[in-house]
Amino acid sequence: MSMLEVKNLGISFGGLRAVDDFNLTIEKGELYGLIGPNGAGKTTVFNMLTGVYKPTDGKILLDGEDVTGKRTIELNKEGIARTFQNIRLFSDLSVLDNVKVALHNQKEYTYSTLTGILRLPRYYRLEKEMDARAMELLEVFGLDKEADYKASNLPYGKQRELEIARAMATNPKLLLLDEPAAGMNPNETQSLMNTIRFVRDKFDMTILLIEHDMKLVSGICERLTVLNFGQILASGDTAEVLKDPKVITAYLGE
Amino acid sequence: MKKMSKTARSNLITYGIVILAYVGCEIWMRFGNMSSLMKGLLVPLCVYAILAVSLNLTVGILGELSLGHAGFMCVGAFASAAFTKCMEQAIPVPTVRFIIAVLIGVVCAGICGILVGIPVLRLRGDYLAIVTLAFGEIIKNLVNAIYLGVDSNGFHLSMKSMLALNMEADGMVIINGAQGITGAPSDSNFTLGIIMLLITLFIVLNLINSRAGRAIMAIRDNRIAAESIGINITKYKIMAFSISAAMAGAAGVLYAHNLTTLTALPKNFGYNMSITILVFVVLGGIGSIRGSMISAVILTMLPEMLRSLDEYRMLIYAIVLIAAMILTWSPKAIELRERYSPLKLLRRKEKEVQ
Ligand SMILES: Nc1ncnc2c1ncn2[C@@H]1O[C@H](COP(=O)(O)OP(=O)(O)O)[C@@H](O)[C@H]1O
Ligand SMILES: [Mg+2]
Repeated sequence: MSMLEVKNLGISFGGLRAVDDFNLTIEKGELYGLIGPNGAGKTTVFNMLTGVYKPTDGKILLDGEDVTGKRTIELNKEGIARTFQNIRLFSDLSVLDNVKVALHNQKEYTYSTLTGILRLPRYYRLEKEMDARAMELLEVFGLDKEADYKASNLPYGKQRELEIARAMATNPKLLLLDEPAAGMNPNETQSLMNTIRFVRDKFDMTILLIEHDMKLVSGICERLTVLNFGQILASGDTAEVLKDPKVITAYLGE
Repeated sequence: MKKMSKTARSNLITYGIVILAYVGCEIWMRFGNMSSLMKGLLVPLCVYAILAVSLNLTVGILGELSLGHAGFMCVGAFASAAFTKCMEQAIPVPTVRFIIAVLIGVVCAGICGILVGIPVLRLRGDYLAIVTLAFGEIIKNLVNAIYLGVDSNGFHLSMKSMLALNMEADGMVIINGAQGITGAPSDSNFTLGIIMLLITLFIVLNLINSRAGRAIMAIRDNRIAAESIGINITKYKIMAFSISAAMAGAAGVLYAHNLTTLTALPKNFGYNMSITILVFVVLGGIGSIRGSMISAVILTMLPEMLRSLDEYRMLIYAIVLIAAMILTWSPKAIELRERYSPLKLLRRKEKEVQ
């Protein structure tokens, strides 16, 4: 069974058909790319997958279960986590707390508000376990030394990685990355590529990413879908899609 | 020395300041010559500190603007004072009576917080400021129009006049419209005020450093991202706001039980009061619990201390407000403060010792 199956997904904003007849199938453990020119509708697809927008038509199946029309927090509980094109960290919280807060819905770390206020033994035990789990994730992203920093004081590239760490803390089945390399220099992009590949391998994660950096896309994505004016232009194996004349004229050739 | 987290230590300093201030005042009162003016200020100082700390939960931690904090204080004050007036004979021990009064004030104000919060906090815009502003004014006016009495037949309520209560001869008026509540025993005192302040601090500081508190601050910092990691926005907004309202109710109880006559005036429960509390929070540093407590104390004492200066009083008060604003918010001052903060100095000493 596929991890994600999207059938005939579409959305209209007033008269504007932002995404039309969008189909996508991603297998478990796959690293999948979604590319296309600005305004093509890529972020809108993410927003539908995460319940920010309700699709006007179509179906979304996650791990075989129909999750169409669910709310954002329910979809996150079902296992869809994301990052944002414009970084959205909890800027006044520490790096560590940015990850800890994302453990919110995991049963093994849950305690009541009253337990927290009264500082019952369970509070101390679970906070310690959360610290350990969050540090573990921060280490994967090389952020453990900055755990006490305020998130907004991190350099740009690290903020992007912290966003991925935070998404991973919700223990997702499917990770959506919206232009993770945007604004990064070549070195940061290279290290990000390694991290993404590492996350996929270590957690057997299914990843769908939007990206403009062709080096990153061709370097780590196994399959691609190209979106243009809200419609699929091409999809398939990365190397083949990037050779497609339609894709080259619409997007790569310029 | 046992290793302690930075926040745990900062919290201890906050409690320490309150306890030291308490001990200092007690010694001053017993062995010194504390003026009657100062003695009269002790309980109000606790009231304003609790109000500032609790409003900071809404403004600084949740990131929503409330302009009706005095309204919740008013609910706590009147609900509890009505209870105390009824129960003066039935519960003879003042402290027991006061504890129950606090619970009643907290619950009533908290319920009002939930009732205001449920419709408003679901919306995405900044509607809370407008609605709380209206709530505060409505409560103040409502309280002025309520006549409540009790006699052998039970409670009587009217919105017209005392006579409309139609009570038996043995009846007792509890709330007498604009004349408010008269003759309820003044059960509060400085010690109870300090205990209530400590409990307020305990609740707020522990909440901030817990699972729920992190969720609340995540909503403040980025609502969309908080939703994306599965945080129930409405639930935590209502939780923070109603806890804040409930604690304002507690401050109202303390306030009411320090007076012989409780009336709802623009001065004590109106819009001006809500703004004054907001000023405490802004000057103390939005989100800084200790800061809002200290600024509430200083800004409450200052006008009283400056009484002798008469006409220059408000001028000096204004200058202090501006100076405090600069000291709290200018980047240079923040830098200096961080460099010379008591926490940093303590840690430096520790390193030298090691
Ligand atoms: N909430 C919205 N209301 C109206 N139009 C929208 C909305 N969100 C996106 N769009 C439109 O949908 C189109 C696709 O946008 P987007 O998905 O952000 O593109 P991109 O592929 O660059 O991520 C754009 O024309 C954009 O203006
Ligand atoms: Mg986009």
